[in-house]
Amino acid sequence: MTHRKKNLANMGNSLLFLGPTTVFFTLTVLIPFIYGLYITFNRMATPVDPMVFAGLENYVNAVKDTKFWESLWLTLRFVVATVFFVNLVGFGLAYLVTSGIRIQNSLRTAYFTPNLIGGLVLGYIWQFIFVQTLPSLGEKLGIEWLELGWLGDPTMAFWSLVIVTIWQTSGYMMIIFIAGLVSIPKDLMEAARIDGAGPFRRLINVTIPLMIPSFVVTIFLSLKNAFMVYDLNFSLTKGGPFGSTEMVSMHVVNKAFVEANYGTGQAEGIILFIIVAIVTGIQVYSSKKMEVEA
Amino acid sequence: MKLMKALKRTAMIGMTGALAFSLVACSGKTEEKASDNNAGSKSDSPVSIIVTNGKGEIDAQFKEAAKAFMDANPDIKVEVNSTAVGDTLNVFDKLTASGKVVTLAMFEPYAALNKYKDVGIDLSNEKWVAETTSALTNAEGQVVGFPFAVEGMGLVYNQKVMDKAVGGTFDPFTINTQDELKELLDKVKATEGVKAPVAYQTEAWSVGNHYSSLFLNQVEDPATLVNDLKAGSVDLAGNDIWNGYYNTLELLTSEEYNEFGKRPIGQYYDAAHLAVGKGESAILFNGNWAYDSLKAVAGDTFGFMPVAVDNNPDNPVNNKIAVGPTQVLVVNKKASEAEQAAAKKFLDWIVFDEAGQDFVVNKSQVISAFKNNPNTVTNPLGIAIADAIGKDRTMHFTTNFINAADWPTTVGPEVQKLIAKQSSKEDLAKYMENYFKNQQ
Repeated sequence: MTHRKKNLANMGNSLLFLGPTTVFFTLTVLIPFIYGLYITFNRMATPVDPMVFAGLENYVNAVKDTKFWESLWLTLRFVVATVFFVNLVGFGLAYLVTSGIRIQNSLRTAYFTPNLIGGLVLGYIWQFIFVQTLPSLGEKLGIEWLELGWLGDPTMAFWSLVIVTIWQTSGYMMIIFIAGLVSIPKDLMEAARIDGAGPFRRLINVTIPLMIPSFVVTIFLSLKNAFMVYDLNFSLTKGGPFGSTEMVSMHVVNKAFVEANYGTGQAEGIILFIIVAIVTGIQVYSSKKMEVEA
Repeated sequence: MKLMKALKRTAMIGMTGALAFSLVACSGKTEEKASDNNAGSKSDSPVSIIVTNGKGEIDAQFKEAAKAFMDANPDIKVEVNSTAVGDTLNVFDKLTASGKVVTLAMFEPYAALNKYKDVGIDLSNEKWVAETTSALTNAEGQVVGFPFAVEGMGLVYNQKVMDKAVGGTFDPFTINTQDELKELLDKVKATEGVKAPVAYQTEAWSVGNHYSSLFLNQVEDPATLVNDLKAGSVDLAGNDIWNGYYNTLELLTSEEYNEFGKRPIGQYYDAAHLAVGKGESAILFNGNWAYDSLKAVAGDTFGFMPVAVDNNPDNPVNNKIAVGPTQVLVVNKKASEAEQAAAKKFLDWIVFDEAGQDFVVNKSQVISAFKNNPNTVTNPLGIAIADAIGKDRTMHFTTNFINAADWPTTVGPEVQKLIAKQSSKEDLAKYMENYFKNQQ
């Protein structure tokens, strides 16, 4: 009897704490996801049309859509570039503002601020910089490669996206790295110093191995952000010039809502979900294994 | 201890209730809709209609108009939903997907006749049909769309710079051959204060939806040419007018004449309109809506000139600018009869009531498609369009004959490739032929 009561009480506890989250997770994620999956097996020209069962037709169309794979390949390159640079810059900044320089607190705020500006606004601001400011600077200073707007050249437009992403997110990653850096035990560093390790040795052999948990988080976040980028892509380049910077999210949105191809767009969304789930899953699993105990 | 237990029990019941409620909420939609329709058919209770407005820039004016209409018709409630400027998702789709019945929907003409062809009711017997030549008719000849806005596109020019360049008052319709256009560009280039004669933004929707549909005007009814294209019986690479448009485009985006000629593709909308507004450049290709971006810098006047595509001064396309209804209102057949009647009343109000006429032209600066509307817009590009209509110098607004929804991501980028010299005219011709062939 008491056992049963205890069980009930436990259940009450779980419901109290997990209930609200579960309800909203179900409403905003699970139900739309399942409904989305259902859409991929149906054909429907407009949302008003009745759905007609179409089997795997949408997936076949998605696989055949060469532009989808092109945009996925582009996104992968974007992922590699941003994950690398965002973490490098983020770690560098964190290292700088924990090194004890005098204005480090103001610097922390300054580096974090870009992250508070939304992606859309950021895109428009930087569009102005890439199209007007830099070219006029180039003209005044006579730097030839700066004279033309960046967003008209496929390669430069791609790197524009990378640069703005680094600028926006490395401050956020810096905060996570700072938390990791300050929690490294002082006695370990002292021991290393007594053993005769220089600053570089200490960084490579003590700090970085102890920072793996932070890297697991930041790499996961930057991976996910890079795969899902849409707002910045939309406001900075709109996928241009001539569709060369259309990332995979934008392609999916265009397919579904602009070209009114809901089924195929949704199927591409599911394929994207599977790819991102696998990549981030591998990343979290493999880097967890690298963690060491202090 | 007892209190804790009671608290836990309450929480548990609450949570279970919330879960159950969320399930019920999902299935409750259909009932709600049915009761809505019933309410609409009762004549003594007020009728509620949902109107969608595709012109987000006049959202405030539209809502104000709805209020004025409601004051005059207390038995009708009008709810206006506008598409945000630049939003890719159609507000009609959103509302319909959420189970609401839009009574009066604003569509682009092509969408009204294709994607939404089953939405509208026959409006042929409405009083306003006699007052316009722009009513949208379907293949069976029924009037299905109420023309809300008339718009035009062509080469927008800065009058002040042009006057200076030609030494006198510039008449846009004197430029009706490619040679004359080139000569004009040279004159403008030599004018003091001009950095480059053309500052064209070359965005995908502009070079695609607008510029690249103009060739359809080579026949009396563009719809026939579109049908031929869909049937695959048109050779675009061998079509003179089609080629002519891209020769002119090459001229307009060339390094010699275009402000951005060295790298003609980019995000130049603001920069281009600023340049023409300030008079640092004189010409760009766009429609009457460009005025908002131009006037931000100067109170100068602007006008339209035709896009010349060959050296035959008698070629109609060299002498006309494209003008037509770009937004039509459609009455949804799924709405109840009372709602449809209310929607029709609203349309009549727009055409025949002074306040309605004032709303369209004076407040929203939209060019009215109705000849009984006594007001005129103050926007110089709007005046230029009214002028062209008066002189019978207009041709079809060809964007209405293509699927404007997907051109910015399909044909548009291909035209940009041609401008950036990443592809040839033959490539573009082949792409466009295939594009049309794959349309149903």
